[in-house]
Amino acid sequence: MSWFTKALKSSVGKKFVLGLTGLALVGFLIEHLVGNLLLYKGADSFNGYAHMLESSELILPAELGLLALFLVHIVLAITVTVGNKSARPEVYSMYASKGGRTLASKTMIYTGILIFVFLVLHLVHFRFGVQSLDAEGRRNLYAAVLALFRSPVYVAWYVLAVCLVGLHVSHGFQSALRSIGVNHPKYAPALEALSLLFGFLFAIGFSSFALWAHFFKGGS
Amino acid sequence: MNLTLKIWRQKSPKDKGRLVTYMAKGISPDMSFLEMLDTINRDLILKGDDPVAFEHDCREGICGSCGFMVSGQAHGPLKGTTVCQLHMRHFTDGDTLVLEPWRAKAFPIIKDLVVDRSALDRIIIAGGFVSVDTGSAPEANALLTPKDNAEIAMDAAACIGCGACVASCKNASAMLFVGAKVSQLALLPQGQPERERRALSLVTSMDDAGFGNCTNESECEAACPKEISVRNIARLNREFLRASFSHPAK
Ligand code: HEM
Ligand code: FES
Repeated sequence: MSWFTKALKSSVGKKFVLGLTGLALVGFLIEHLVGNLLLYKGADSFNGYAHMLESSELILPAELGLLALFLVHIVLAITVTVGNKSARPEVYSMYASKGGRTLASKTMIYTGILIFVFLVLHLVHFRFGVQSLDAEGRRNLYAAVLALFRSPVYVAWYVLAVCLVGLHVSHGFQSALRSIGVNHPKYAPALEALSLLFGFLFAIGFSSFALWAHFFKGGS
Repeated sequence: MNLTLKIWRQKSPKDKGRLVTYMAKGISPDMSFLEMLDTINRDLILKGDDPVAFEHDCREGICGSCGFMVSGQAHGPLKGTTVCQLHMRHFTDGDTLVLEPWRAKAFPIIKDLVVDRSALDRIIIAGGFVSVDTGSAPEANALLTPKDNAEIAMDAAACIGCGACVASCKNASAMLFVGAKVSQLALLPQGQPERERRALSLVTSMDDAGFGNCTNESECEAACPKEISVRNIARLNREFLRASFSHPAK
């Protein structure tokens, strides 16, 4: 085995790459959130922005890159979690935390799997589902957003899903930093706070689109 | 005080094992947890039964021999305390306590509350030391050590190798133990010559033993009787990555 595969296959190496892909996905979510804010500017801005992205030469490499990030993240996450379970074949009949564990940290695999389900539906609905065009011949994603969020069930599911994303990131961001070796008494508390902030930001930010569409754009 | 104890009894590594209920009567609040177990064992021996096996040596919280789960918590409910230094006054009359051994694939149960922790020894053998030629001690000021580094190294060196980090981790990961061992030497001049080889071989040995990965929950730090910081885990990650890229061996 070369030194590189050996490093990657080690527990530390796997977590390093899991952390890097997680951080990159957090970066993507920031971009996605900021881009979606154009919904609030109206149909023209939002569809225009989407059209600008889709007609760029970089869209194919960007989408393939994102796909690779997700795949690597998911494969490593499952590998790591399976390894963790097999490291304790016999479970305790009683377990109580002494501190450290949080709801987010102990549910990473479950929030992750639900995010995956959400992601597939999200792509089916928005990436592949919308074909109707607006007056300028661009995919009318704005209308599709308003139409989909007319259903209260869809709004509820969407809000739940993005809250799970927030929970995942609230532990994931700080965990990823530690996995890649970033931790110092000078700035660790600030980064932990930032991790929580990202979690809340994603949960509230993405929820706001669904709630706004439903309650203010004639959904209900 | 009177307590109900549910203790894991397992005759041998192959035995299935089960929780058995014992009544601890007339326990003094001044007893240590292990002294309380001694009284249970005295009664068992007088009745001709097999006493509960548990490990202990110094009973001063410095050797790292003792350790089991008390109602789901490694070394019991108190922070920064080994179970030998845990006193019965921290419990209430009438409490029911569940005593279980450390559970991890890398720590097979030998008997009752005793587990085989030699996986930790093998990690140290893999390189958790500095090689020195014997001879007269060098002049004390020949090796200059920054005070701050010495402090952090000393904090890491407080690890007594009891295994509570592994026991309390949901993944049975030994990252805090290995992090402490790597840090303690990586921060000192004596540790430099073997620094990279050590980081690589300790992680390899840890993985081979079947410990889990680190989810960065920090449950280990909370359970550590020496309160070793999880920063040592971040340092281990740095040391390992650095060594992977820069160690001269192919
Ligand atoms: C936008 C989506 C996602 C983002 C932003 C994200 C972010 C992160 C981050 C930053 C980490 C921390 C990495 C570390 O501890 O080194 C992480 C861990 C994890 N992710 Fe994700 N993730 C996403 C999607 C998923 C999906 C779809 C799964 C599906 C299985 C998943 C499963 C996990 C698991 C199990 C862990 C923790 C592994 C452990 O250390 O125990 N994630 N994620
Ligand atoms: S018996 Fe030595 S630390 Fe508890």
